[in-house]
Amino acid sequence: MNLPKIASISKKIVVACVGLFLLVFLLVHMGINLCLLRPDGGAWYIAASNFMGTNYIIKVFEVVLFAALIAHIIITVALQIQNWKARPVRYHQPSKSKTSTASKTMIWTGGLVFVFLVLHFVNFYFVKMGLVEGKYMIQTEELFSTELQNEYMAATQGKLSEEEVALFQSKMEKVNAIAVKAEAEGLSSNDMKWIMNLSAEDVKPLEGIVEGVEPDFYNMSYELFGNKVYSIIYLLLFVALAFHLIHAMQSAFQTLGLNHNKYNKFIEGFSWIYAIIIVLGFATVPVYIMCFV
Amino acid sequence: MNFTLKIWRQENAKAKGRFETYKVENISSDCSFLEMLDILNESLISNKIAHPVCFDNDCREGICGMCGLYINGRPHGNDDGVTTCQLHMRKFKDGETIWIEPWRAKAFPVIRDLVVDRTAYDKIIQAGGYVSVSTGGVPDANSILIAKDKADKAMDAAECIGCGACVAACKNASAMLFVSAKVSHLALLPQGKVEAANRVQKMVEKMDELGFGNCTNTYACEAECPKLIKRSNIARLNREWICARVGKEK
Ligand code: HEM
Ligand code: SF4
Ligand code: FES
Repeated sequence: MNLPKIASISKKIVVACVGLFLLVFLLVHMGINLCLLRPDGGAWYIAASNFMGTNYIIKVFEVVLFAALIAHIIITVALQIQNWKARPVRYHQPSKSKTSTASKTMIWTGGLVFVFLVLHFVNFYFVKMGLVEGKYMIQTEELFSTELQNEYMAATQGKLSEEEVALFQSKMEKVNAIAVKAEAEGLSSNDMKWIMNLSAEDVKPLEGIVEGVEPDFYNMSYELFGNKVYSIIYLLLFVALAFHLIHAMQSAFQTLGLNHNKYNKFIEGFSWIYAIIIVLGFATVPVYIMCFV
Repeated sequence: MNFTLKIWRQENAKAKGRFETYKVENISSDCSFLEMLDILNESLISNKIAHPVCFDNDCREGICGMCGLYINGRPHGNDDGVTTCQLHMRKFKDGETIWIEPWRAKAFPVIRDLVVDRTAYDKIIQAGGYVSVSTGGVPDANSILIAKDKADKAMDAAECIGCGACVAACKNASAMLFVSAKVSHLALLPQGKVEAANRVQKMVEKMDELGFGNCTNTYACEAECPKLIKRSNIARLNREWICARVGKEK
């Protein structure tokens, strides 16, 4: 197959644009994560995630984000393979040229970021997709849905057959079971708006009765990072992310031709600070939960 | 001074190479690296030990770009801003073991020993690294006005001697520093600007075609360039490329 040839610089420019987009995304994601730390039973966190989950512009960006990530990985790996092929016989002596470690290890730190993403997806996103079981939550007002209310009305007015009444009662029992459990175990939090920390077994009976069961990332985070092994794996992979990002931003500027003697030092400094802020921001959550909860 | 040399020997392009060990003694600290190799070769010939070690060179004053050896992990050796012919033995420790390798890149195949074929660079120049009409002799002063900073930048870029150290140093064997120097010194001047959009596209296409790697902004090239060509030229090359592609001229 003869793929259309895309010039090296064009590919690099796509990688840089996409990379900058990913960098902005990371900042937003970090901001939401930090809401986890507020001792408000997840109110801010849920509000922020709700906004991200329902806003249409954000939903479009979610698709763009996945496309961007995949494009970034495919192009960088393709470029890297060409780069390896460009030197078929390697030097005997290791290079002693003055360069930064971060810039030389982009493919490896990128690979570790990929490992992180896979782990992170299994831990969180797969729950949303229903591929993995996690914790769930449901809005209290969703529990007694309009449909159930209508059925209730109809039942009290004697409009339902005996069978239908029996069905309605069994539904109500299941819904009540959740409410009772919430009451007994204090699961409801966050001004009684949400019943949280429900297991897969808890919510299974609700299937087809109430909608609006959502993954409870708030409690999943606390559970996950309460596990020291996970926390430490996450933290180690964040170190790789830090290295990737330190070079990433300044490299993207250079690739886009934005190099100026007056601003180079600033760009370099900004890349470092941005990378450190992102990674410290992300690291705060597991560290806090692991050490103080 | 005395040295132990580990030199890459390879009979021809197809042969399998290997490192050979030679000892040189009583070398003056003012000897240049190539003179030291001359002394080695004389002794190899007169003592009938081996065929002399082949290496490229011409001017021996740092202006032609012919010489170029990968010495102890650095192109042009352990000194900044010099070519191999301008590297002196006082930069080494007495008794040191020195590893000498040819440039390693798919686009620069080894011809023999330490000599590599750098026609790939010529091909990139042939693709567009020139002004296609004669611009005549030296013009009258001030007949074409050029801003001082532009002239300085163009001159700095024009210093590139095409030695190939940037490719040799780069972990990706990328020729971006060389191409960017050539693109820059022409694009910055009025005589070269006219064809700039065309030139950058043709030269980059040729560079890709010849099997050089892709730049990852690691800047080993800048660290090793004997003419101290700066990375800002690569950024300019990228800018020229973007403008040319947006303009779609070809
Ligand atoms: C959220 C995560 C990521 C962000 C924010 C990010 C960001 C960036 C940025 C801004 C660049 C510089 C682009 C340029 O100079 O042209 C870059 C380069 C690179 N990225 Fe990523 N990246 C991420 C994930 C990954 C992953 C998962 C891989 C896996 C293979 C990867 C591999 C690379 C490589 C190899 C480069 C160097 C490419 C080059 O300079 O030509 N990155 N990244
Ligand atoms: S840019 Fe520097 S290292 Fe590269 S070919 Fe020109 S002079 Fe040699
Ligand atoms: S021999 Fe001419 S630059 Fe070294």
